[in-house]
Amino acid sequence: MPVVRSGGPSVTGVAPAAPTGRGPTRGEPDELRTTRTAAWLGAALGVAFGVCFATGVWSHIAQDPPSWYPPRPAGLYRITQGLHVITGTAAIPLLVAKLWVVHRHLFAWPPVSSGLHAVERLALLPLVGGATFQLLSGTANVARWYPWGFFFPRAHYWVAWITIGALVVHVGAKAAATRDALRPAWRVAPVAARNDHAPPPATGPVPRTVAGATDRRAFLAGVATASGALVVATAGGTVSPLARVSVLAQRRPGFGPQGLPVNKTAVGARVVEAARDPAYRLVVDGAVRRPLSLSVADLLARPQRRATLPIACVEGWSASAEWAGVPVRDLLASAGVRDGAGVTVESLQPSGLYRASEVTPRQVADADTLLAVTVGGEALALDHGYPVRLIGPNRPGVAQTKWVHRLVVR
Amino acid sequence: MSATDLPDTTSRRGLLVGLALGLPIVAFGVRGVLVDAARTHPAELSGWIVGSAVATDLLVVPGAVAVGAVAHRFTPRSWWPTVSAALMVSGALILVGWPFVRGYGRDPANPSLLPRDYAAGLALAVAAAWVVAAAVLAARWAARRRR
Repeated sequence: MPVVRSGGPSVTGVAPAAPTGRGPTRGEPDELRTTRTAAWLGAALGVAFGVCFATGVWSHIAQDPPSWYPPRPAGLYRITQGLHVITGTAAIPLLVAKLWVVHRHLFAWPPVSSGLHAVERLALLPLVGGATFQLLSGTANVARWYPWGFFFPRAHYWVAWITIGALVVHVGAKAAATRDALRPAWRVAPVAARNDHAPPPATGPVPRTVAGATDRRAFLAGVATASGALVVATAGGTVSPLARVSVLAQRRPGFGPQGLPVNKTAVGARVVEAARDPAYRLVVDGAVRRPLSLSVADLLARPQRRATLPIACVEGWSASAEWAGVPVRDLLASAGVRDGAGVTVESLQPSGLYRASEVTPRQVADADTLLAVTVGGEALALDHGYPVRLIGPNRPGVAQTKWVHRLVVR
Repeated sequence: MSATDLPDTTSRRGLLVGLALGLPIVAFGVRGVLVDAARTHPAELSGWIVGSAVATDLLVVPGAVAVGAVAHRFTPRSWWPTVSAALMVSGALILVGWPFVRGYGRDPANPSLLPRDYAAGLALAVAAAWVVAAAVLAARWAARRRR
């Protein structure tokens, strides 16, 4: 069995003295802890964290959209956010397996061999801490479990930058070895040799033993199976054909008032009385020529537009429905607002970070950005935002403001 | 510098380039945490980041190693790839399923949130993993006997 070495595994994938399929050591876990195994897992994790980072930053942008943020395609956010959660979930077995493969290096002695090595190892703390925290906090958020005092979206967002920065350092340090390890053995010159511009060993490239290959493939197949099983078990809230077998999904498609899941309830938002008040009026003011104040009957008397749009939650689930109501741009036209105006949509909710949302001029210009009064032909359920909610294409669920009572034109 | 100042798998030039590109991104994230301190609670958050690393490296991974070592000891060699895959699937499902089973996030006012019986679902999924593993082993055994 290879002994623990402080210098990291050999670049060719196995310790030089590793047995070639002889006797009882074959297939034992330590033989799997090679650079080649680490390289495959590292490459997969690099892709997974890259996808999570890109879709996560996209989601952050979508919550407070800049003027260029596109209102189309309508279902884009449901795809990017579904991908974010699915990829993050699939990364959990990859990360545990990766840390297992390199675990012995954590206790290598001496802990550092140079100043630069100390810097490299120090940069592993934000990498490992950040990566594990991101997967832990993301999973906990999907389970709606908040055993901490900070605000999850902000913490998850900023730690993503820390993690990705540390990942760039790590990829820089290991890219050459990873590339070598994923390449056939005869094309490899060790990175250490290149570091010192030394000629390759006189014996030529060290042949990679094949003993571990079958076991490594079996191990990696096991990890991939675990990732796949997690995806199947959790993705049913957004990939509806999986709903029957997604035993750990946060939502069940079609389950909820009017066949739609609910995120924030009217009780939780403390709007029950205000939403049912017969004196309810929708106010349009701000930079307008004629302020409006409309009852639900006034809204229903206006030309109604139907749109089939998804609610796509940051937690990964999504559900489509047919909404009907008055396009925001029609209301603004009635209020005498020039084209190109943006709007702040305010809820009856007395407090909370998501009591208001921004609608950009491009989103206003999209006729499917509605103040919906019905879903599936019925008045909205209280939990879906009765009497009026905002629903628009390619907007995250938290920005589909419910119990709307005011549009402030900017 | 000597040949041993970095591990064999670390490229010095790559590391320096990585540091030059990556550290500003890390700094941007740290700055974000500090600027947004009212919502990110930097002290508590740091504890969670370090704690996540420590818990994974000192509990989750050694736990997996221990379970794997014990299982490996008592599993016939030809069964090991299948058995270890079933172990990994089970471990992953239990790890992720735990907060769902505990139902920390349940809200009596919102039955559409966490609507399933997650304990039964998790048990079923883990059982399914082992049924599949057993079926794979049985099929292999049958195929070998035919030869």
